[in-house]
Amino acid sequence: MAPGATMMQPMPLQPVRDDIDNTWEYLQTGITKIMMNLQDGVDMRTYMGIYTAVHNFCTSQKAIGFSASSNISSGGHRGAHLLGEDLYKKLTEYLTEHLRGLVAESKAHTDEALLAFYIREWHRYTDAAKYIHHLFRYLNRHWVKREMDEGKKSIYDVYTLHLVRWRDVLFAQVSIKVMEAVLKLVEKQRNGETIEYNQIKQVVESFVSLGLDEGDSSKTTLDVYRFHFEKPFLEATKGFYKNESKQFVAENSVVEYMKKAEARLDEEAERVKIYLHPDIAVSLKKACDQVLIADHSNILRDEFQVLLDNDREEDMARMYSLLLRIPDGLDPLRSKFEAHVRNAGLAAVAKVASDADKLEPKVYVDALLEIHTQYQGLVKRAFKEEPEFTRSLDNACREFVNRNEVCKSGSNKSPELLAKYTDILLRKSSTGVEDRELENTLTQIMTVFKYIEDKDVFQKFYSRMLARRLVHSNSSSDDAETSMISKLKEACGFEYTNKLQRMFQDMQISKDLNTGFKEHVQSLGVKGLDSSYSILGTGFWPLTPPGTTFNPPEDIMADYERFSRYYRNKHEGRKLTWLWQLCKGEVKANYIKNAKMPYTFQVSIYQMAILLLFNDKDKITYDEIASTTQLNTDSLDPSLSILVKAKVLTVSPDGEKVGPGATFTLNYDFKNKKFRVNLNVGMKSETKQEEAETNKTIEEDRKLLLQSAIVRIMKARKRMKHQQLVSETINQIRGRFVPKVGDIKKCIEILLDKEYLERLDDDDLGYLA
Amino acid sequence: MSDSKGKASQKVTLASNDGSHIEVDRVVAERSMLIKNLIEDLGDDAIATAPIPIPNVNDPVLRKVVEWCDHHRGDSLQSNEEENDNRKKTTDIEEWDQKFMQVDQEMLFEIILAANFLDIKALLDVGCKTVANMIKGKSPEEIRKTFNITNDFTPEEEEQIRRENEWAEDR
Repeated sequence: MAPGATMMQPMPLQPVRDDIDNTWEYLQTGITKIMMNLQDGVDMRTYMGIYTAVHNFCTSQKAIGFSASSNISSGGHRGAHLLGEDLYKKLTEYLTEHLRGLVAESKAHTDEALLAFYIREWHRYTDAAKYIHHLFRYLNRHWVKREMDEGKKSIYDVYTLHLVRWRDVLFAQVSIKVMEAVLKLVEKQRNGETIEYNQIKQVVESFVSLGLDEGDSSKTTLDVYRFHFEKPFLEATKGFYKNESKQFVAENSVVEYMKKAEARLDEEAERVKIYLHPDIAVSLKKACDQVLIADHSNILRDEFQVLLDNDREEDMARMYSLLLRIPDGLDPLRSKFEAHVRNAGLAAVAKVASDADKLEPKVYVDALLEIHTQYQGLVKRAFKEEPEFTRSLDNACREFVNRNEVCKSGSNKSPELLAKYTDILLRKSSTGVEDRELENTLTQIMTVFKYIEDKDVFQKFYSRMLARRLVHSNSSSDDAETSMISKLKEACGFEYTNKLQRMFQDMQISKDLNTGFKEHVQSLGVKGLDSSYSILGTGFWPLTPPGTTFNPPEDIMADYERFSRYYRNKHEGRKLTWLWQLCKGEVKANYIKNAKMPYTFQVSIYQMAILLLFNDKDKITYDEIASTTQLNTDSLDPSLSILVKAKVLTVSPDGEKVGPGATFTLNYDFKNKKFRVNLNVGMKSETKQEEAETNKTIEEDRKLLLQSAIVRIMKARKRMKHQQLVSETINQIRGRFVPKVGDIKKCIEILLDKEYLERLDDDDLGYLA
Repeated sequence: MSDSKGKASQKVTLASNDGSHIEVDRVVAERSMLIKNLIEDLGDDAIATAPIPIPNVNDPVLRKVVEWCDHHRGDSLQSNEEENDNRKKTTDIEEWDQKFMQVDQEMLFEIILAANFLDIKALLDVGCKTVANMIKGKSPEEIRKTFNITNDFTPEEEEQIRRENEWAEDR
């Protein structure tokens, strides 16, 4: 019987309660009304009528054979046999028949019309199902419940029964065609047409509703939806984008393709939000990532170098976010990036390093910083500061900071130049630097410092230059010095800056000592020189005693001795070593004619000793000077040379070199633009020598550092494999410099000889207390 | 849909199968799942214009049922499963319900049938418990007497049933 044939029939009278055919005939009229014409409404009488008919049939006692009796006390429900199976069967048959009719009707429709048909019938059917579910509630409550409690499979509550029939009769026949229509519609939209996407949304909802859990009808699963919707949808998506991207790549640039892919990916994500089930989001993203990105990852990556070379930041950001979506997508980018940064750094250094010896520290450090700043910016803006890219940047920077053109002339060049630049910044200079600017530059110094492998070299140079700044008190500001030291401490720990801090302490203590000494001199009532002294702890200062004998001039002898006595009284048992080479003073030149004001010469103590000799004579020979001052030629000659060069002294015979045989005469006609003349200028050779010395001590210090590290480790572990000890030592020392395995082995040998360690069997080493 | 306040004061008319009309608050009527679903399906307008026919219940019984529903109007409608189970296991009946059920047997069974038809689970439970309490502790003969049942078993049948149910006997 075709559904709808009876649709306009009025409801017949209540059926005989225990007659299935009679009852069903009555029910069918009502159900058909609900199924076909629900929009016309159902009157209350029909509603009640159907409910009552179901109730009456289920409570009739025909099946057991008792006569119908209104007296329930006759015990008619013995055996708890519940009626309803016939009704259930009839309903099932009815639904099957109805759905078969729909399947036949569906054949007349295709594409969007089919979708419209499917959705219309689906809504009509499920709306009716809710009604019928209510009307058959008595069946649900009793017969269905009992069947289900007894574990009968394929008995469902009435609503679920509707869904099951839909799925098995109609869906099984038309779902493929419906899905084809859906996919066609989606393809239309992907091709830029506007579509009625609500249709798809409703189809999705229908498919999801059909996911019934066979084990538990109160639950739903997504199995039906996944198999019949997701699977074909994903396949169609892949196919579509495979073709599209292939064609697009062939006709457009990679950059254009990236924009296209990005737009497509956004579009698909949006599609999920607008009309798909959220369950598809992950797999759809994965499918799109595969065909749009992974399948083209090679050409994308090939383009990366081009983008790097041309600073196409925005495009690199795009590439990053695309490749981020696929597994291992970024690794090749990172290695390319690392190599690129390294090369850029090396090129930048090579550009400034035409003459490594004359290289300005500032120029060098700025070159390093410029590259770092540039690519750090890129990492930040294009790569979202992703940790792996940051690491690649760090690797590249470490590489070009420590192994570049400049470092070829000496592997310690980078830390040395960096320390020198710091010195220049911290030294008092005529070009005043703003505090904040100085602080910024120091922070930048630390950026480079972070990459320096030989941090011990930096420390050496830094402490040497700090010593000089302190001794000559030409540090630009205490605040800047403190700030720099705390930065270093933060980067390398307390031990690294310990000596530097002690140097500051010494300067402070010396200040107090000088005040005490001045008071002491006053109390003696003698008139001494206006002098000050710095007491520098031998262990902390990178200073060596003078390389020459020296006989201090008479004029300062009294003060020299007075201070020595004062200090000995204060600190018994301490030994004072006078670092004459670091002493300086001022002398006033009253002898010069034509001077409105006497000139003041700033001189080293050696120069002072020489000049003071001219208080007695105007003309003195080299040998006389040498014998009186007791200076050796290495110290005497440079001191004299400067005086001659500045024309304070004239040498005779004319043009004679400074040395034995020369005679020096005081120049009464000395002239200079300034009244204060600084004659205490360091010689180039002096600093060169210093550098060489510094470098020489580094190797020695490293050996000690290695040995102390080894002993520390062994003291803690007592017993260790040789190989393990070596790698542990590398770990500990890496913060200072990169040790060579050979050196560590040598140090272990030394410690074995010194019996700090012993060899045990099995390649083990033991610690000897 | 009317808001909840409007719903609370809304009236519903019920028509018994013997033609009397009883006006009750909508919330009271909705203790019956049948009526609740009906209103949900047919809409507020349908009940506003016509009485709801209750084909299987006569006036005195319907009034009794309405009385119970009115008293229990505030009970939570969907007590959860666990609570349901607990309620099922005990034969305890709250005082008001006990008094309510003090009616003649005929009425008691009519109430039970009406509760079953109207789908008022709590009332059905109370009714069945009342009957259960009437049976509890009685011999078959006493039970027959209580419910006015004629023994239509042959002695053989009776013996067989006794044997089959031996396990349930109090010892």
